[in-house]
Amino acid sequence: MDKAIVIENLSKMYKNNRGIQEINLEINKGEIFGFLGPNGAGKTTTMKVMVGLMKADKGDVKINGFSIINNYEKAMNEVGCIIENVNPFPYLTAYENMQLCGRFKKEVNRIRIDECLEITRIIKYKNEKIKNYSLGMKQRLGIAMAILSNPKIIILDEPFNGLDVEGMVEMRELIICLSQKHKTTFFISSHLIHDIELTCDKVGILYNGKLVGVDSTHNILKNYSSLENYYLSEVDLNADY
Amino acid sequence: MQIIKSVFINEIFKISKKKKITAALIFSMLSVIIAAIVEYSLNNFAGIRVTGNSEFSILILTILIYSLLPLFTTFICVDMFAGEFADHTIKFTLTGPASRAKVFLGKILAIATFIICNLIVVMIFSIVASLFLNSNLPNFFKILVSYFMAFLPIFIFALAAVLISNITRGPTSAFMLSIFVFLVFIGLNLVFPQIRSFLFTSFFDWFRLILGNYINYSKILRIFLILLGYGIMFCAAGYYLFEKKDI
Repeated sequence: MDKAIVIENLSKMYKNNRGIQEINLEINKGEIFGFLGPNGAGKTTTMKVMVGLMKADKGDVKINGFSIINNYEKAMNEVGCIIENVNPFPYLTAYENMQLCGRFKKEVNRIRIDECLEITRIIKYKNEKIKNYSLGMKQRLGIAMAILSNPKIIILDEPFNGLDVEGMVEMRELIICLSQKHKTTFFISSHLIHDIELTCDKVGILYNGKLVGVDSTHNILKNYSSLENYYLSEVDLNADY
Repeated sequence: MQIIKSVFINEIFKISKKKKITAALIFSMLSVIIAAIVEYSLNNFAGIRVTGNSEFSILILTILIYSLLPLFTTFICVDMFAGEFADHTIKFTLTGPASRAKVFLGKILAIATFIICNLIVVMIFSIVASLFLNSNLPNFFKILVSYFMAFLPIFIFALAAVLISNITRGPTSAFMLSIFVFLVFIGLNLVFPQIRSFLFTSFFDWFRLILGNYINYSKILRIFLILLGYGIMFCAAGYYLFEKKDI
């Protein structure tokens, strides 16, 4: 099967000796991968290195076969992402922020921008400045920006943050729909284990900067009553060391 | 090329939407008008002739190049680098399909465009004001060349501000440090005139070299090369820090 994302021996350590160590991971095209781990495990660090916001101490990330270190532009050409919080330009409107995003792609036009804002249900606020937006609205805008150019890979760090229940359900449906219709690959980190269980095909658990388990949701649910039980058992097992 | 163009258009778009940029251009225009009123008053009521026709535009340039132009340029540089790093909006630009080198280049080109626009605004207003002050036509060629030459030292200062913006952690410290460096260089220039040929700030008014009857081309070339050297150093160091920065 074609690999959308390949992470090889990825390490990044901070001065406080926290970070990520020797992460190896492969995600197939069209998969929805859930990245779980406690606070400070290194999920955001991994994602930041994946999209080039941080430089790895060691290792590489290949996206669609292109190295993020040696071929950044080609690697990121088909990637949409939200990393940590969504930080659009506060002095611009939602529509203007989308325009900034769309300028890199010829196929993005006014209709496509409106379509994405419609999908994330913020079309009626499109001419309002971001400084007046709530956290949830910013999150919806971030999702609209991530899907704007119909990317083949979408990397989402805590995409359900700030969303109301309705928003979370819509978000889940959108992810599954894009994966099934367009074979879009998703790499999602979240603390909301229930949402990961309902959305993802494959789950990886990061603990103390190390990837301690990767398995398909189907296999996990065959052996454990819930993803939460699997997660706790993996964390307990590795906490002893 | 298409990516650099997209980054550049995005940066220009962002600049155009900032209120402080509009304010900067309005202040530049106002300063010309105020200077024209002062000149007119001195000329007509006190009987003091301060400048001739061409000299009014040059006088304005000499005043602004040591005051408002570096100040507004610092605003824009700090906003585009330290400001975006501080409020994390830089993530939005850096996670696009543009390498950091292209993002850096696009931002630098946008800063250069802003400086050019600011100089054009000041030049046009100062020429119009000088036409009101005196009935004779000014020497447009000398004015044009002077404003053209003024771009380089301001741009070099912008590159220094970009470097400082990539060293400091926040926009306030970047702004204060840029202004401090500017004042220290100006101070050194006044206190130790023997080292003035090493300080790029002492060449801010290098356009004066073309105003006399005799033009010293070798001196112009020497200053140009010194400014170019400073530019290359600031640009390389600024880019190095920008490229290495973890967000």
